[in-house]
Amino acid sequence: MDSRVVNALAAGSVAAFLYLGFGGLGAAATDGDPAALVKQREQTMKSMGGGLQTIAKFVKGEAGSAADVQAAVAAITEASSKDPAVVFPQGTAIGTADSDAKPELWQNWPKAVEYWNGLKPATAKLTEAANAGDRAQIAQALQGVSKACANCHEDFRQKKQ
Amino acid sequence: MASRAAVKTVIMVAAVALAAATGLAGAGARAADADAVRRGEYLFNAAGCLGCHTDEKGGGKPLAGGRALATPFGTFYPPNITPDPEHGIGRWSDADFIRAFREGRAPDGSYLYPAFPYPSYTRMTDRDLLDLKAYLFSREPVAAANRPHDLSMPFSWRFLLAGWQWLYFDTRGPRPDDPAKPPEWNRGRYVVDALGHCGECHTPRTTFGGMEADRYLAGNPKGPNGDKVPNITPQPRFGIGGWTPGDITLLLETGLTPEGDVVGNAMAEVVRNSTSKLTADDRAAVAAYLQSLPPIGPPP
Repeated sequence: MDSRVVNALAAGSVAAFLYLGFGGLGAAATDGDPAALVKQREQTMKSMGGGLQTIAKFVKGEAGSAADVQAAVAAITEASSKDPAVVFPQGTAIGTADSDAKPELWQNWPKAVEYWNGLKPATAKLTEAANAGDRAQIAQALQGVSKACANCHEDFRQKKQ
Repeated sequence: MASRAAVKTVIMVAAVALAAATGLAGAGARAADADAVRRGEYLFNAAGCLGCHTDEKGGGKPLAGGRALATPFGTFYPPNITPDPEHGIGRWSDADFIRAFREGRAPDGSYLYPAFPYPSYTRMTDRDLLDLKAYLFSREPVAAANRPHDLSMPFSWRFLLAGWQWLYFDTRGPRPDDPAKPPEWNRGRYVVDALGHCGECHTPRTTFGGMEADRYLAGNPKGPNGDKVPNITPQPRFGIGGWTPGDITLLLETGLTPEGDVVGNAMAEVVRNSTSKLTADDRAAVAAYLQSLPPIGPPP
């Protein structure tokens, strides 16, 4: 077979794969339904919260090993690497499903993005500490991540209890 | 002549000795002041003065007057507490300062609104109050005028506060330590009840804004800015009865709850400005005291 034909076929199949893959993912995940988008955000938050819980238990000396902390940090890193526009899409403020996000989050979007992006350096320090396996260093880095979370929770979350 | 020279020498020696003594005394006083300022800074953080008296989000200068505090009675604008003599508290005497905290009265004798949490601060000791004053007076004076409170009638009638104080204000002042309890518990009680004024948000209030004494720290459905403030008594289901002392101290240090959530709203500010700056011993004392309180469930 002519190599140009092979290349064209390969490129086409990759494109088709990408289109189907991403389109399919998007459709399966939310279908653009605001309630589903809120649910998806809650999953992201739960994933980070679960990681923080594991690390806190280690810091308090209650449970877990350095390996558990590393796995927890990986989960937090993955969640916090998401695009803030994907985690906080328009139309998902309080009033949509059980959203706790204040409308001010979108009114002050650059600030919200700044807060979200603040998670990355804090999480990087936590990764470093987890890899070193030093409890005091992990405790300090945990405080840094908590502060980054608190920035947004202080300004933009209205907790319903 | 010889005797005159001797007299001169004696006078000079005496003068030098006097100067040295005065200098030493001055240095001693300054060191004492510096100690008071340092202790005062710790109390300033523990008592959480910054948050209300500074318009942080509005870019206001530290302690030059606070952000709006929305309450069911209207909006309070906490005053300038810098040492500016005109707009701040620069002309307040030690007695004026103690009276404001202990009795809820301004230097002119008028009643202060309990948005300034003197029902809690009244339990602070004289020494702590004067250390706090020393710290505040070491801050930069800011000539910023106070904004009048914006209250609905009849809450705007300040003289009615006499009645409010009679109904709700316990004027006994600092509590003596309970000898039956360990020092950690007594310290925890002081940090929670007096300095931290935790009850001001975590205790429900009556129609006229008094704290419901029999539901102390049992949660407030209508807290600051309409937030629901949780029950922090050791009630197993509705309070923090399932928490370990380490859970409590970690929250005070980092804002992390045992579930892995990070507290927001007003408590995020409390952690940032206040409880994260306490010593580990004081955080442990807070945990010991909170866990010793009577557990209180939801109202019947």
